[in-house]
Amino acid sequence: MATTRAILVDITKCIGCRSCEQACKQIHGFPMDTEAKLSPTALTIVEERGDRFVRRMCMHCQEPACASACLVGALKKTAAGPVTYDGSKCIGCRYCLVACPFSVPRYEWTKLVPYVTKCDMCAGRQAKGQAPACVEACPVQASIVGNRDDILEEAERRILNDSKYVKHIYGSEEAGGTSVFFISDVPFEKLGFAAAPKQAMPLLTASALGDGPTVILVGGALLSGLYWITQRRALVALAEAREKSIKERN
Amino acid sequence: MSAKSTTATGTSATRFPRISFWRTVVAIIFAAGLYSMYARFALGFKLATNLTDPQPWGLWVGLGTLCGVGLSAGGFAIAAAVYLLGLDRYRPILRTSVLISFLGYCTVCVGMLYELGIPWRIWHPIVMWNRHSVLFEVSWCVMLYTTVLALEFSPSLVEKLPWVRVRELYLRWHHSILIALVLAGTLLSSMHQSFLGGLYLITKGRLDPLWYSPYLTTMFYLSAIPAGLAVTIMAIYLCVRSLNARVDMNILSDVSRVIAPLLAIYGVFRVVDLINRDATQYLWMWREATGLFWLEIALLVVVPLVLLNLKKVRENPMYLYWTCAVIVMGFMTNRLNVSITALQTSSAAYYVPKWTEFAASLATITAAAVAFRYAVIYLDILPKNPPRERWLVPSAPAQA
Ligand code: SF4
Ligand code: SF4
Ligand code: SF4
Repeated sequence: MATTRAILVDITKCIGCRSCEQACKQIHGFPMDTEAKLSPTALTIVEERGDRFVRRMCMHCQEPACASACLVGALKKTAAGPVTYDGSKCIGCRYCLVACPFSVPRYEWTKLVPYVTKCDMCAGRQAKGQAPACVEACPVQASIVGNRDDILEEAERRILNDSKYVKHIYGSEEAGGTSVFFISDVPFEKLGFAAAPKQAMPLLTASALGDGPTVILVGGALLSGLYWITQRRALVALAEAREKSIKERN
Repeated sequence: MSAKSTTATGTSATRFPRISFWRTVVAIIFAAGLYSMYARFALGFKLATNLTDPQPWGLWVGLGTLCGVGLSAGGFAIAAAVYLLGLDRYRPILRTSVLISFLGYCTVCVGMLYELGIPWRIWHPIVMWNRHSVLFEVSWCVMLYTTVLALEFSPSLVEKLPWVRVRELYLRWHHSILIALVLAGTLLSSMHQSFLGGLYLITKGRLDPLWYSPYLTTMFYLSAIPAGLAVTIMAIYLCVRSLNARVDMNILSDVSRVIAPLLAIYGVFRVVDLINRDATQYLWMWREATGLFWLEIALLVVVPLVLLNLKKVRENPMYLYWTCAVIVMGFMTNRLNVSITALQTSSAAYYVPKWTEFAASLATITAAAVAFRYAVIYLDILPKNPPRERWLVPSAPAQA
């Protein structure tokens, strides 16, 4: 998928100005106060970790756990890269919150008709050829956007050419690969990045689900067989009893 | 009907203080439940629960759904034993176990309405499909199996209808589909029990290693059957003690003889799985999760196995009752561990359910218990002892 879009965040460049936070709040019409954690009114935040600043946002996984978990298909991985949310389908089960390995989705706990909220990579803006608001707002290009392949190449180039970087692109393997990447000069564990499994999350449940039809077929056949044997036994017992009583009568 | 209710009031009148105490308790629970209902639907999650983003599923899922479904496993197990395996000696307790399962699934469905953020969209999974979602399969299993249970249970109600024609037609139709129902019920229920474990497969790396296993599905299935049977034993014991039911207590010890090996299999499976996954080192770590793990294993496996091994326990209904209570507590500890405590270290959440969450769950369970009581009193669920002389009225002998 050459046209798939991706975002790269270079932690060494981030100056902690929170322009991305502000820009995101602005286009969504959220209150502008700074928040410490992701929330329904903060789809991205900048966290201070020691002397580094770390952006948090949805990772837009290639095979999103949230989308595989959502029973009504409200969450979807689009061909263009973003993982989007269709609130009109959502029933509010919150399994997506349980499933996401990066603890990204938030729930509107205070509302009477609550929805799930998360960054959608500005899918609407990107469809119109604009960059995500947060990326556009970054004064030092700590966040950049582009085709996923190009972005990965760029990330690789940076960590290979400069020895200060940790030799890992966070997001290249995590959860089977994402569409938001981080590179850093401080080990990722120290910056509060989740040690997500290095495999596509839907695979974890696929095996259990794949069993479904087999269980029905094999189990159904087995149980029917059992029932048949039980029936037959009862019939045989009945016939024997009858024979016996006839003999006795004679 | 009226004849039976006279009997019921007759028995309760002789034990007035005790019943009135329980009535008060039930009234208090329902009052608290009503407030919780108001809190949940008029004030919202924030005020009705202590749920947060790191702890999006709490008591209502852990207790209401996971325990509710698991403890309702008795119905399919007994139905399969009677109809598919031809174990006729369990037939006298068949209706009871089906009734328990049916009521159990009803509480699960009611619980869903509390649980879902937008409960009036509960039908969405019928038309909006995502075959990759374990929860999707779970929701279909709930829908289908609740229907199957309602149908399995329906004769108890239909046979009380005053219209002979309707009764006969219905019962004949029911008889013709019964085996199909039992077959479908066994499969659906088995899948459902396993899929509830499957829900947590996606939490790899976050669920504590003492619980996370690729075989969560099998474990949920293996533990549900003995726990469901334990609930059946408890319910029947209570019916005999306080509802004048007439049951051969030997059936209960028969059931307990099945429970013991099932628990043993489950225990062995857990141990082998821990060894296989190289997770045994967590067994001896000094941390809260390990303590809870041992509590769970003690209550669900070790203590019941020791007790059930004693002849005195197997053959004394009251001892059996308490042993089953231990199993049920162990089972609930397991489900609450998987759904709440074993996820807390990784999510850094500290969740204690709000009182309204407890009240809502308790009220739903109490409602089911009350419904069960009245069903046993008014319907032919269990054979009853002949009422005492002065209440004696002519009525058809109840059949199993
Ligand atoms: S980071 Fe979480 S919410 Fe975002 S796409 Fe991945 S699984 Fe979904
Ligand atoms: S809360 Fe909504 S979006 Fe999330 S899994 Fe449930 S239905 Fe899907
Ligand atoms: S991509 Fe859009 S929605 Fe996501 S954090 Fe940036 S501005 Fe907000």
